[in-house]
Amino acid sequence: MRAWVRHPGVTLAARLVLGLVFLAAALPKIADPPGFAKAIWGYALFPAWSLGPLALLLPWLELACGLALCLGFWVRAAALWTGALLLSFCLALGLNLARRHPVDCGCFGAAAPKTEAERLADMRWLILRDAALLLLVAQLLTATRLNQELGDGKEAEESSGMGR
Amino acid sequence: MPSKPGATLTRMLALAAFAGSAALLSNALQPPSHRLPWSGFRPPSPVPPPEKGASLPQPPTPLVTPVQPARPTRPTPLVPPPAPRPSAQSTPPPAVPSSPIREISSQEAWKAFQGGLPFLDARRSEEYAAGHVAGAWCAPVWEADLEDRLLAFKAARRPGSEDPIIIYCSGGDCRDSHLLAERLLGEGYFHLLIYRDGFPDWVAQQRPMAQGQP
Repeated sequence: MRAWVRHPGVTLAARLVLGLVFLAAALPKIADPPGFAKAIWGYALFPAWSLGPLALLLPWLELACGLALCLGFWVRAAALWTGALLLSFCLALGLNLARRHPVDCGCFGAAAPKTEAERLADMRWLILRDAALLLLVAQLLTATRLNQELGDGKEAEESSGMGR
Repeated sequence: MPSKPGATLTRMLALAAFAGSAALLSNALQPPSHRLPWSGFRPPSPVPPPEKGASLPQPPTPLVTPVQPARPTRPTPLVPPPAPRPSAQSTPPPAVPSSPIREISSQEAWKAFQGGLPFLDARRSEEYAAGHVAGAWCAPVWEADLEDRLLAFKAARRPGSEDPIIIYCSGGDCRDSHLLAERLLGEGYFHLLIYRDGFPDWVAQQRPMAQGQP
């Protein structure tokens, strides 16, 4: 199981999928911050003063994480950020679903107008999608953790070998 | 490559710092219609979630519907609000004529247009450029230059606090016209008429339209 989880092919696929999803999500929001601020406002969870900073910062954080994951540098740090972001997205959607407050996701920029019933149905799928992406984050964190332990083990072996 | 927890934290902070710097730079380079102020942004108060069980069906709306506006987010109006009118004091229940914000039907909007009343378009400026009510003023409630646009409107039309102003957006569940109305209410305007069906209805009725940048 551990060997499968840290298989380089699986790790590569996980970080490419996550990275591309985050890049695709970031670009439309970077192009239109007011539209994203309106989407965040629709969730009715954030104070008014925070809408501007959130709408400006989040897309660039998504872009930075997406680039790091696609290019394969600082993977663990980027995976931790993406995990935190996905968890917060799930929480925001889940809270609004629980109070039956339909929202437009805003995940990939502005979307076509939908009815309330359609939006509520979409929200359930979006939570499932984010949960699936969280599994990829878990794989990346596990793989990088195992590599870290392996690296520590090798360092210990080398240092003990040198001491002989 | 193995990484220590301290290094991971540093890298996370570096990613956040990159995001912050890039956001600062890109926001400074954006055109006004796509720029957001970091602070001092005065978005309208969030729409409260509907109560349980009351989310989907709405009761049928009469031709003229009084709208109870949310409390204005900014208590410092440009124009000081006048003293309460005697009629509002004498009639405890919310009488239709005394409601500062109310929805109007398509027919009423058409009569207002024929009467030369000012129209404010609360949609995004791109939507305004693609098509708007002829003679309407662009007042995109989510864009950073809303203040300047409203000042230009006030300077040109000089509306009094009791003069009617028609506000519209995209109809349906579009809330931008209500948000703009709440903002204008906070600035001391007390006769704000929201064209409920909005621009799609105006197009469907084949009424006068214009295109182009504000």
